[in-house]
Order: sequence, then structure tokens, then C-alpha cells
Amino acid sequence: MTLNRRSFIGAGAAVAATLSAPMVLGDGHGKPRVVVIGGGAGGATAARYIAKGSKGAIDVTLVEPTRTYYTCFFSNLYIGGFREMSSIGHSYGKLAADYGINVVHDWAIGIDRDAKTVSLAGGAKLPYDRLILSPGIDFVDGAVPGWDVSAQNKMPHAYKAGSQTELLKAQIESMPEGGTFAMVAPPNPFRCPPGPYERVSMVAHLLKEKNPTAKIIVADPKPKFSKMALFQEGWANHYDGMIDWIGEDFGGGNVEVNADEMTVSIDGEVTKVDACNVIPAMKAGKICEMAGITEGNWAPVIGHTMQSRIDENIHVLGDATNQGDMPKSGFSANSQAKVAAMAVRGALTGSKVFPAKFSNTCWSLIDTDDGVKVGATYEATDEKIAKVDGFISKTGEDAALRRQTYEESVGWYAGITSDMFG
Amino acid sequence: MSNTKNLFIPIMSGVVLVLGVAYGLTARDHRDAEFQALSDKVATLEENEGYAESKAEAYRSEAEANAQQIAALKDQLAALQAELDAKPEVAEAAPEEEPQSDTVEVASTGSLGDAAKGEEVFKKCQACHQLGQGAEDRVGPHLNGIFGRRAGAHADFNYSNDMVMMGKDGLTWTLATLDAYLENPKALVSRTRMNFAGLKKPQDRADILAYLRVYSDDPQNIPEAAPTAMATREVELSEDILAIEGDPDYGEYLSSECTTCHQADGSVDGIPSITSWPEEDFVIAMHAYKVKLRPHPVMQMMAGRLSDEEIAALAAYFGSLN
Repeated sequence: MTLNRRSFIGAGAAVAATLSAPMVLGDGHGKPRVVVIGGGAGGATAARYIAKGSKGAIDVTLVEPTRTYYTCFFSNLYIGGFREMSSIGHSYGKLAADYGINVVHDWAIGIDRDAKTVSLAGGAKLPYDRLILSPGIDFVDGAVPGWDVSAQNKMPHAYKAGSQTELLKAQIESMPEGGTFAMVAPPNPFRCPPGPYERVSMVAHLLKEKNPTAKIIVADPKPKFSKMALFQEGWANHYDGMIDWIGEDFGGGNVEVNADEMTVSIDGEVTKVDACNVIPAMKAGKICEMAGITEGNWAPVIGHTMQSRIDENIHVLGDATNQGDMPKSGFSANSQAKVAAMAVRGALTGSKVFPAKFSNTCWSLIDTDDGVKVGATYEATDEKIAKVDGFISKTGEDAALRRQTYEESVGWYAGITSDMFG
Repeated sequence: MSNTKNLFIPIMSGVVLVLGVAYGLTARDHRDAEFQALSDKVATLEENEGYAESKAEAYRSEAEANAQQIAALKDQLAALQAELDAKPEVAEAAPEEEPQSDTVEVASTGSLGDAAKGEEVFKKCQACHQLGQGAEDRVGPHLNGIFGRRAGAHADFNYSNDMVMMGKDGLTWTLATLDAYLENPKALVSRTRMNFAGLKKPQDRADILAYLRVYSDDPQNIPEAAPTAMATREVELSEDILAIEGDPDYGEYLSSECTTCHQADGSVDGIPSITSWPEEDFVIAMHAYKVKLRPHPVMQMMAGRLSDEEIAALAAYFGSLN
């Protein structure tokens, strides 16, 4: 099996040539082939569930540029000092060794939907019967005046976990006593709705320990945000007077930054800052656009199967999608991946397909042992993925419950990462 | 020749010296390593000893608790025997007023029963629980002031982990929750230490609740003014529901929703394991979440949209995992 796949990849270009002719599934080659682009909560889960469920009947190739994947979820806890960076890093070894997935560390740079091939930066071409795109997010150009990717070293986004997260933490730690940290929060919709506010909490926790007279300014283009009452209660309880959240009503959306001068202008008022986290507006990972399956910034999908509304041979997962009511979260992507995996297996091998069910829960940490959560269940309708039921932590909950909620989030992290990476 | 020999000796002695020093150093390194290894071993052994002692202590206290429970049960048995001997005609005359029902219909009782009758029923509990003036913790915690008390929160009592977790989740003893717990303890707390099959007759439970209430000083959670405030439990855990055979394929698909949080290999890391459970316990627990008797909001939500067949399918699948 391994041999076949290796020689198959090696002969990628030659195979691609033969594939440019139209073909019927199962005709002209052996096992059906699935290529998954992106090895995060959506892609890794989908690859694993397809490989696991089909028991070798489907060839699965996972394309992911990084060898160690750092989860965005829990990266805020690294900033707060609750996790080591190494504890949120994961390798693809088990997916390759235990599940027979062909893991290719490369960038996908093009998709030929007619030929059904994926081009890689390294030059190879991967043919597919079904393609799964789970590329996460990219940033909208010019979303924050004064900021582009060339400024991300001075003003990190830290919204793709890894070196950016480490950089941001280092900059916060080296702020002068009583200095100012600014965050430019993104407009809806964006990855991890409570993420910026959990981050503010974690930055406040870090500063409270190391630099208690420091200030935090948040410029937000939105009038409200996820778990707002819970965060604001927590900020008042734990970090009284430290955090200044400037919402839409007070000009939080009228922002300009200058990375060389380290200044942030909010509604015309210029502030010198010592560290600045710019989280620009987001769009689907670039490869979706290159595949021509986006409408606006996102890739529309059919909820029942997670198939692209533009190309039925492509399934799109997670943050990159426009699917309806689910938030853009790792949990959502993991949940959608299982529906897609079932649909793909059903289409390629005729296995049983059940009605799609989705769920999501997002835990956030406000301070030590003060965890909160929000969650919902969803079902697929013809129009969209629609919310069925939901819940949210309540303000004023007792300490034991909040601690339990945090401990539960730690358990969830262990659960979802073993669900993704085996 | 002799010259060579003369040269050879000092060279050889030099070599021997170097080798000797080298050997000495190596031997020292070796001894250091050996010393380190031995100290590590001692540390490990000491640690093991401490662990063994703590285990032994735990077993001792468990054994004591068991002995206490056995003694209490024997007393109860003797008391019941005496009662039977004293009034055999009553025992014979007491007919089963209600047919044994496997269906949970709590809402029908809705109000507190008769405390005096409850005191009689409470005899089944007395082996382990004390109630009233001077009541103390025994095998089970004392039950004074039980209404409104958070589950597993009574100071100094050694509860099961599940009971503590339920308490942290927010399980509070009210008419509705006590009624459910008395009817089938596992419905609320899967691995409770309370070794009691449950009171199947709604009237018995209503009576005992009335009796418990007498010793609750702060009965703020007792909806006396509005007896209907007791949560309507529509769960009907009939034999039929328990007998449903789940579709394991469907269970496997549904289980993928669970394994985002509950690790498939049964590891426990802040979220309980759900693999290899007895199917019936699994079904009972899920139905208790479904009707919101168990407090955890995520589980209420997840169970809330599962049909009886889906719960059965999940139970079958998880029960089959090793």
C-alpha cells in the first residue's frame, strides 16, 4: 500500500497528464483518492475519519505545510502562561503510521477542477476523486489602514498560532512598566469569536503578574462580542481598571496604525503603544479563492455534506466556509469534518450515510480557574446549517463551577487533539 | 636491541600510566553513574512505599466503612425481623396498593406526602443515614438540611468522584432531584457509592421527602405554595426503552460527536470516560440529561436532541469499546 502510494506520488506529473482526460470513478485507477488540504481541526479530522472508516479502501493524502501544527485554540493560554508552546504542538506521525495517510508537507498552490488535480509548490500534482479544503483563514488586504503582512513583526496578528504567538508574548513581556498594550479587534465574521477577548484576558493576567500598572486598549469595530457579559464581569472582577474596551459606538472601528512609530489612532486620537496586536478582517484561506469556489470572502457549502455549492467534488470545512449559523471554531471544523468524512465515504465506497448533526462548544479562560463556555447544536437544512439549541455560562456562577469549566476545557483539548491527530 | 629495550620500558610504563589514569577516571565515572542509579532507585522505592501506604490507608478506611455498613444492615435486618415477628397479620394484610411500574411518573405526585409515613419508609435508609437532632455522618452523610444543599458538598464527607463532579456541575437537592435520586440513584449519579436500588413507588418517595423536609431549616427550594413547581419529568424509562437494541453503525457515527471531548481510548483528563459502560447505565444517564435532571449544560444539549433509538445506538457502541 505504502509502496503504491509512494510510486504514485513520485509519478505525480505523469499521472496528472493521463488524468486530464475525463474519467469515470473507479475506472482507470484502483482505489478512490481523497486529497485533503490543510491539517488543522477540519482537515486532520477529515483525513483521519476517512482513513479510519474506509479501512484502507480510500487513498487519503493530507497536504499541510507545517511539520508541527500549533493549535490556535489554547494559544491564548500560552500567552497567559497557562500552557507551554510545546504542549499545543502536534505532529502528523500517527496519521501516517497508524492510519496510512500519505502526509505531504508542502503548499497547495493551485487546483484544476476540470482535471481534478492539486498542484503543490514543490512541483507535484495530486489527482483526486474528492478534494477536501480546510485551509483556515487569510487576512483581507488593507483591512486595517497602516497594517499589512510586512508589519506583522512589529504588530503581530498572532491569529495563526506558532511563531506569531511567541512574538506577541515576548513583546508584551518586554513592555516598560506602566506601558500600553493595544489590540485591534476584527469585524464579523472571524475565526474564534471569543478569541480576541480571551486573549485580552490572558494579556491582562500576564500583565497583572509582571507589570500591574500597564494598560490595555481594545479598538473594536463591533458594538458587542461573544460572551460579552461574562468577559466584562470577569475583567471587572480580576483586572479592574486595566482594560479599556472601545466599541463601535465610541469609534472603535475608525482605526489606523503606524507600525514604525508604534502608534494607534482610534477615532482620530493617536496613542503611543508599547505592544500592539492587530487582528485584521478575515477571509477564506487563499486556496479557496484560487480554486474559484468563493463568493465574497468565504466558500459557500451545502450543510448536508459540506460540499462546495460551486463544485460538488470539493468539500470545504471550518473557518473558510460560509455555512450558516455555526461559529468559526476548531470545534465546528472538527464537527463538520465528520459529516464530510461520512459523505465522502458514502460517495466513494457506498458506506451508510446518516443525517448530518453538528455541535460546537467554545471554552474561554478569563483568569486562573475562571473558565466560561458557550455552545450549541446544529442541523443541516437545505438553506444552511441551522442552530437547534444552545447554552452559555451565566454571570455570577460560583468558583467551583468556573474551575470545573476550566478543567473541562483542558479535557476537551486532550479529546479534540486526539480526535484530530490520533 | 638493548637500546630498543631501554626505550621500550619507559614508553610502556608511560602507556600503562596513561591507561591507568584513564581507567581510574572511567571507573570513577562509572561509580558516579552507579551511585546516581542507586540513589534514583532508592528514591523510587521510597516513593513506591509512600504510594503503597496511602493505598493501604484507603483500603483500610474502605474496609472500615464496609464493616460499619454490614453491622448497620444486620441491625436493620434484626429490626425488620422483630417487626415481622411482632405483627405477622399486618405483613400478610398489607397488599401491594399499586402495581409495580417501571415507568417513571413523578409529576403525578407533585406534592409532599405524609411525613409520618415517611418516617416508616426512612427505616430503609437508617442503616447508613442519620436524620434529626444530633445526626452525624455515618456510612452516608447525615440528611439534616438536605433541601437546597449542593450535591457532594457536605464538608468532610468522603463522596464518590461522580457525586462531587455532579455537585460542581450544579446539582442541588430539590424535590425534583431528590425524587429522581431516590427512585434510581444511578439516574443522577452514575457511580454513586450509595448502594441502594431505589424506591419504585412514587408515594413512598413523596412520604420520605415530606419526612426529610421536617429537618430542613431552610426549605427555600420547597415549592409549597406551588406544588406544580416541581419539574415535570416526562422521561419514561420503561422496559421498552431499555430494551431498544441500538444500531452499532449509527452509534459509531453518532459517537464521533462525543469523542471531540470524551477521549475514545477512555483516558480521563478533566472530562469523564464514557467507554465500556454498562449499556443500561449509559441509557439512564443520557435520559437524565435529556430531561435536564442532570445539570451539565453541554450534556443536556447533546442528549436533548437524541432520540431513544439514538441513545440506544450510542450505548451499544460505547459499551462495545475496550
